Amino acid sequence: MSDRNAAAGGGDRARGEPAEDVLVEENHSGSVSLPSLMTPSSAACMSLSMEMPRKRKGSLDNQDTKSSSIPDADMEDDQNRSDGEDQNVKIKCFREPHSQIEKRRRDKMNNLIDELSAMIPTCNPMSRKLDKLTVLRMAVQHLKSLKGSASSFSEANYKPSFLPNEELKHLVLKAADGFLFVVGCDRGKIVFVSESITKILNYSRAELIGQSLFDYIHPKDMGKVKEQLSASELYPRERLIDAKTGLQVQADLPVGAERLCSGARRSFFCRMKYNKISIKVEEKEFQASTSKKKESQRYCTVHCTGYMRSWPTSHLEVDGDGEPDKQDSSYYSCLVAVGRIHSHSTPQVNGEVRVKPIEFITRFAMDGKFTFVDQRATTILGYLPQELLGTSCYEYFHQDDLPHLADRHRKVLRSKDKIETDCYKFRTKFGSFVTLQSQWFSFVNPWTKEVEYIVSTNTVISYDPSQTSRSEVKSELSSNSKTSEDDCNKSLQVILGISTTPGAMIYAGSIGTQIANELLDFNRMNSSSSSGSISPFSLPQDKCPQTHNQISNNVPNGGATDMEIPGKSSSEDEPQGAAFSGGESLMVENSQLDLDSVVGPGLSSLSNDEAAMAVIMSLLETDTNLGEAVDFEEMHWSS
Amino acid sequence: MTANKEKRRVISRDAARRRRQVESEVFVDLSRLLPFQQSVQDHLDKPSVIRLTLSYIRMHTLLKGKTGIKVEASHAVKCGQVMESGQEWRGCDRGRDDEEKKTDNVEASEETNMFLRILEGFLMVLSTEGDMIYLSDNVSKYMGLTQTELMGHNIFEYTHPCDHEEIRNNLRLTAEEVWCGAKRDFIMRIKGALTHRGRSSNLKSATWKVLHCQGRAKVCVAPSSVSCLLLTCQPLPLSHTLLSTHTFTSQHSMDMRFTYCDQRMTLLLGYSTEELLGRSIYDLCHILDTNCLTKNHLNLCFKSQSVSGQYRMLVRGGGYVWVESHSAVIPSVRPSKSRPGAHQPLCILCVTYVLSGVEEPSLQLSLDQAVHRYLR
Repeated sequence: MSDRNAAAGGGDRARGEPAEDVLVEENHSGSVSLPSLMTPSSAACMSLSMEMPRKRKGSLDNQDTKSSSIPDADMEDDQNRSDGEDQNVKIKCFREPHSQIEKRRRDKMNNLIDELSAMIPTCNPMSRKLDKLTVLRMAVQHLKSLKGSASSFSEANYKPSFLPNEELKHLVLKAADGFLFVVGCDRGKIVFVSESITKILNYSRAELIGQSLFDYIHPKDMGKVKEQLSASELYPRERLIDAKTGLQVQADLPVGAERLCSGARRSFFCRMKYNKISIKVEEKEFQASTSKKKESQRYCTVHCTGYMRSWPTSHLEVDGDGEPDKQDSSYYSCLVAVGRIHSHSTPQVNGEVRVKPIEFITRFAMDGKFTFVDQRATTILGYLPQELLGTSCYEYFHQDDLPHLADRHRKVLRSKDKIETDCYKFRTKFGSFVTLQSQWFSFVNPWTKEVEYIVSTNTVISYDPSQTSRSEVKSELSSNSKTSEDDCNKSLQVILGISTTPGAMIYAGSIGTQIANELLDFNRMNSSSSSGSISPFSLPQDKCPQTHNQISNNVPNGGATDMEIPGKSSSEDEPQGAAFSGGESLMVENSQLDLDSVVGPGLSSLSNDEAAMAVIMSLLETDTNLGEAVDFEEMHWSS
Repeated sequence: MTANKEKRRVISRDAARRRRQVESEVFVDLSRLLPFQQSVQDHLDKPSVIRLTLSYIRMHTLLKGKTGIKVEASHAVKCGQVMESGQEWRGCDRGRDDEEKKTDNVEASEETNMFLRILEGFLMVLSTEGDMIYLSDNVSKYMGLTQTELMGHNIFEYTHPCDHEEIRNNLRLTAEEVWCGAKRDFIMRIKGALTHRGRSSNLKSATWKVLHCQGRAKVCVAPSSVSCLLLTCQPLPLSHTLLSTHTFTSQHSMDMRFTYCDQRMTLLLGYSTEELLGRSIYDLCHILDTNCLTKNHLNLCFKSQSVSGQYRMLVRGGGYVWVESHSAVIPSVRPSKSRPGAHQPLCILCVTYVLSGVEEPSLQLSLDQAVHRYLR
């Protein structure tokens, strides 16, 4: 069997060199012969009979343990290496028809040729499939061109390497995220450090070479590092791990010799300083300097592995810090090691435990009312899901966040993308606030093309139990309104006396409703079909649709601007009257407005006064179901 | 009639021979251009020549894409900062004379070799399909198979089928990772053709070798954008290592219960050996690190070796320390004539490095700690 293989090996080499050359290969002989055993399957157009005798020819030279050529029948995987496979098949006395073998070989070759043609730029634009020979010729050309552009010093004794050495170095350092360093054992002087340290610890080489390693190590780890570098007097008993059995070996070795012998391995973790970047900003405060106090110094965990090496001092140029009369027989020993940063370690900022942020999911309808609340919300918000369902999310948002959240609400209804909110505060059951950040997207029913609900993935940013005092909550509750962070505009509250008058009824929920309504109206405007209004608070839309939309646009934005509301007084009557009079005129004006400008942020098209009026109007109209003046005292408020 | 047929056959045979000849010549030309020593070039078979050519071209494309970017802005996930390397890209070294270039080159090669030697591993560049586009030439030292034999082949042909899923997951690159230097750290079993004594044998008697692969994904933003995985692969276990005072060893049964632990543990964490026997390691660690421990445990059970990530071990009485464990499954040793010791069952051996000091010593994270603290 091995004869045949050997023969196959001998016969197939295209260059017809003697088989002994195989053994000259610097690498393991066993493995080299493997590729050479490939039969020229590409020339398999010949009949079987021709092939076989040729293979028989050849030397018995490459006998040795060319069982390497025998493919592993033992391995469970199907190797699918054509050469191995072929041998295997041949050995098994043609259980498969030879044509099958040949076909497989051809296919494999063809695949390779195809891949090659895909990689060669000149082959690519060709529309028709090129024949093998042409592809190969083009490959030759391409390789020649590639070699030409690379560094062109190819001396005879220069070891050719697959990659230019610089490139390889960069690849290795990039993959390993490490740096090479050599430190002297006696004082920890950094003798050498590779360039990659710049990328890792942000120090330049010049800064480090000649310095003591201990300057850059966390104080608590200094002992550890010293021990790893040091001589034996302090630590008489070595503890080594036997690599094969993994057992600890207590080696009572002669002090000093073994520990510092070349090749003795070291492996330890230590925390090393890294240099903060200096951002090129004018403000001085951002420029970090290395002379910061130690407490504020940042450390990262570096895994150092390497081995000890020693050189006789007579061979080295010692820097002169050693006395010249030191014995010549002494050795300068160093640790030659590689330091790697571990990706899964975040440098330990004191006391902070990095915890995965808690997320929970909620869904609400178009108008902001919760339709689904994840169970996890309870642990965070304190409310049971059923307590939240049906209520508007705006009732829980902190006052300051209403503007931007309403704006996002508006956005998400109109776009298909995920909208991220900024951090905002959400009131928990107990009155405190948690800071959340959410990602919203609206789910559109593919058949009705309407927004069915909005899915919100909420991430907890922080718990801040000291936000709102309970007393504040109480006073809000006593004001008969459901919430008091209702309005985005404090001045509005003052004017309309929301917190004090039983009659005034501004719900936070109405914000959501309006936003929803405005979308509906917009849709209705744009589409011929008339969809029924959803919100119970909706106005008789026919009356003043544009106004309504315009106004509700301004609701959240109103908070942002500094609105001067005419007739600022504590009495209710005047503002109301003003509102209505203003409102009417506004209505008239607005009806002339273009539809497109309605949907966009309409605040810019109105002056502050008008905007204020618009807000008041909308709020009042929403709650009253009527477009006319109403008597507030007689209103019935549903809850 | 037959004479004609015979003639035609001869002609066709000759033509075929000539074609084959020409083809062989082209193959020789191609192999000469490959950056290997002549003796290697001569012994490459045709599919290998193509494979290696492909690798060469692919590596070139990969690196070319790199040199297109002058200043490499490496987003460092570590250290939580964005570091910009102000380093000038040394790939295109124009304006430097040959002599300088040569020394640089030699230096670079030495540095790389040293690096890889210290690391006790080799470099692997994987395409997104799993083709081993490049392997550093010391791969033969660890795998028993040479660079020329392996390069260009697909990694799935050489690794344990149970690990394929994990490898595939690691090859996948998500959109965010493209810009954030995705890191990779996993363990896989690969066929290695080395005997116990370190000599290379044949693939037939190949055994599974456990490799710890660490590295990152790399995307070239070039016209022909290529992405690949750069990995350094270290066979486990590493060789003899001197343990420092901040390291302790422990032995566990397969369910991670302590069966032995050395005295350092007492100094570092406060537990005495007796206290720990029979207790599971999961009890002793921070609850949030359970995932990390589980992964480690699973790796051990399936692959027989593992490097855990960094996790927290609770200190007796309060607080915790950050540790990292390198573990291996030790096959059971039965007493025999040549080894008349005690019977040693299958167990797990862990070498745990303590990375930090005791953090938050007053924090009680387990009932145990509370008991120890208050009921002493």
